[in-house]
Amino acid sequence: MNNLPISPDNVLPIPAPIGLLEFLIILTFIMHILFVNLTISLSAGAVGLEITGRIKNNSLLDKMAQSCSFHASVHKSIAVVLGVAPLLIISVIYTQYFYSSTILIGKMWLNVIVLLIIAFLLLYVYKFMWGKWQEKKVLHISVGFVAMLILLFIPLIFIVNITSMIYPERWIDVRGFFASLFYYPEIWQRYLHFILASLASGGFYMFLYYSYKSWKGNNLKDYEQTLKLFGAKVAFWVTVLQLVAGFILLFSFKTDVRILFLGEDLLLTTLLVLSIVLTIVLCIFLFLAGYKDSFKSFTVSLAIFVLIVGIMGWMRHEVRESYLSPYLEKYPRTEQLSIQSDDIG
Amino acid sequence: MNFPYVEYTWLGYGTVIAIIAIIHVIISHGVAIGTSVLTVSLEYRAFKTENEKLDELAKTMAKWVLIITTTVGAMTGVGIWFSTTVIQPDSIGALLRIFFWAWVTEWIVFITEVVILIIYYYTWDSWKSPEKKKKHINLGISLSVASWLTMAIITGVLAAKLTPGKWIDTFSFWNAFLNPTYLPSLGFRMFLAMMLAIVVVAFLLRLFVKDLSLREEAFKVFGVWGAISLPMTFILGLWYLWSIPEQAYDMIVWSTGMTENTFKIINGLAFLILIVFLVWLIRSPKTVPIILSLAVFGASIGFIGEFEVVRESIRKPFIIYDYMYANGLLYQNQEKINEEGYLAHSTWIMEKEITEENKVEVGREVFAGQCLSCHTIDGWREKRALGKRLVGWDEEALKTYIPTMHNVRVAMPPFMGTEEELDALVAYLKKEIDEVNGVKEVSQSE
Ligand code: HEC
Repeated sequence: MNNLPISPDNVLPIPAPIGLLEFLIILTFIMHILFVNLTISLSAGAVGLEITGRIKNNSLLDKMAQSCSFHASVHKSIAVVLGVAPLLIISVIYTQYFYSSTILIGKMWLNVIVLLIIAFLLLYVYKFMWGKWQEKKVLHISVGFVAMLILLFIPLIFIVNITSMIYPERWIDVRGFFASLFYYPEIWQRYLHFILASLASGGFYMFLYYSYKSWKGNNLKDYEQTLKLFGAKVAFWVTVLQLVAGFILLFSFKTDVRILFLGEDLLLTTLLVLSIVLTIVLCIFLFLAGYKDSFKSFTVSLAIFVLIVGIMGWMRHEVRESYLSPYLEKYPRTEQLSIQSDDIG
Repeated sequence: MNFPYVEYTWLGYGTVIAIIAIIHVIISHGVAIGTSVLTVSLEYRAFKTENEKLDELAKTMAKWVLIITTTVGAMTGVGIWFSTTVIQPDSIGALLRIFFWAWVTEWIVFITEVVILIIYYYTWDSWKSPEKKKKHINLGISLSVASWLTMAIITGVLAAKLTPGKWIDTFSFWNAFLNPTYLPSLGFRMFLAMMLAIVVVAFLLRLFVKDLSLREEAFKVFGVWGAISLPMTFILGLWYLWSIPEQAYDMIVWSTGMTENTFKIINGLAFLILIVFLVWLIRSPKTVPIILSLAVFGASIGFIGEFEVVRESIRKPFIIYDYMYANGLLYQNQEKINEEGYLAHSTWIMEKEITEENKVEVGREVFAGQCLSCHTIDGWREKRALGKRLVGWDEEALKTYIPTMHNVRVAMPPFMGTEEELDALVAYLKKEIDEVNGVKEVSQSE
């Protein structure tokens, strides 16, 4: 570990207690990723429903799709702005790792900007042209489809970055995005976990949204009621799959870290067990939602969902800390201002 | 070198940053701030004069503000940060730490802005009763205020790069934020934003709105804003100019690549066209010629581009004035690096010993660490492409030039490193110069 290319930290001190920043990064990241999940899954859901609707010649499905596309286009704007805070904090507290891993895939990192601009503009075309392009369905679907593909691709770039940042001992050998994609372990397992989480959140969101709407006294239209139940169903089945995907991810971690979750570390093990139990409970609620919907089950399932997401965000942070802990000791961060700096910023 | 690097061999670092930054400035100033203000102004006037069509027009403008700011606007904003992380990691790393809480505040304001914007547009048709309409107009006003606030915060950061002021000694946040050019540049930018919006929206209305009386109504409102903004831009611009450091001031004309006279003529002409346009807008809003609006449109975009390029360039050789050079090296570390060597302080250069075999390789890394921020070997900007510019220079010439280059060309930071490192850099440059020109000869003879 002596010749790792981990640079000395920036000479200017980290501007707040690290504990506070860790708390904030967990919190803001969860908020950000939730909206990202919704953007991706609702876009994919819209395209999927629209295609099915066209094949089956079913206007109900088309309306459901349109509703998804409306929500996706609003959430994508919020997803982007919410992302600023976690990006800011990761840059500040993991400067030595995050900057290197970013620059190693630098060109693809900059492509994110172009790709997202294209995807977002397409999402607007997709939404605003829904009525006008009823006669040009193929064109309309293609627009949504391309946006969806881009949105499904972008997470890979982020996953490569945050995976590579915890593997400094592997930096020297590989550069560039595509090479890294098949070089670092865990990437595809993380991706699977993420995509499933997105789909589940999207379904769950639609269920919540229309439950809330009907609880407020609105009579749900046919397509709204169908979408609500469809959402619950998607959330249920995807979450069942997620129980498997979660374990696949856990077993892709390097042994030192994995065993922390399997009994070695009390906190992490508890978090893991708790998250599994809560997920099963949530599944039961979602399953029941198909048969009877009461406001009580709505609030309880919402509360459980928030808890699960919170625990996931926390565990995710602990994984990174566990991976980095040997380096953090050896390459300390600048926590105090030293005017007489003796290293290069 | 603290970090790895990527190469943009043809574009060069500066151009990559400039493209993203210029697009972002045009949108954040012209659309997010300027057009939002114009939109509520039109909505208000439509409400007062009960003009349905004007209200529709304002709504269309709000829709475009929504579409543009949440796509190109937001992403190029994040993009400036992405690109500086990749290209100037040391500098953005320092800035994030100095201005962390400013950025956090900015983030909160930014979220507010986007949420208000979404509500503002999507409630346009449902908040119709006079009571609700008043609320809606107030929402539009708060949108303008929120967009202005994001500018008020980020300008502190931008201005500090040129004039960090007392921060250099105190390392205090408020010294950095409320730096000597903060107020003038904020004032200048906000009225510039209004001018940009007026010119751009007027041009689009001139093109797409066929209804003469509707256009007249809109132009009247623009005229009022213009009559305030143009003089203010001018006055605050002068104040801004006066408050920048002399060394930087002297580089303004140079940084545009124009001669003194061309610079004066072009900028004077652009200003003149603006005045003519504005007077026309106020005196006879129905007859504004399309050619004139096209001309001011071009002039304004050109001016914004020029402003960005100048602002980025006159800071040279620094990226944070008197503190960090454009290549990320700290001003205070010069002697130390000359003594201990650049390699000793470069995490990402694996070779720590220079030998005959690795000399060129090491030279490449030194070049990447110290010169790539402003130069390319073979890029499109010929003056900065050393392979083209240094035709005919031999190793001796390079070796005597580089250690004194910061005196000859004040835009350059001093070379930092030992004798052997200099040799390595020279060996690398020589090889590249030969290669670039060798290639040229071959292609010419073909
Ligand atoms: C802060 C930006 C910056 C950095 C960093 C920088 N230069 Fe320059 N360099 C310039 C500018 C600007 C010019 C002048 C270009 C012009 O004439 O417009 C220049 C010109 C030159 C010239 C041509 C001089 C002449 O008189 O024709 C050489 C040689 C040169 N640089 C070498 C280097 C080397 C070697 C390094 C790295 C050790 C370096 N520069 C780093 C900005 C920079």
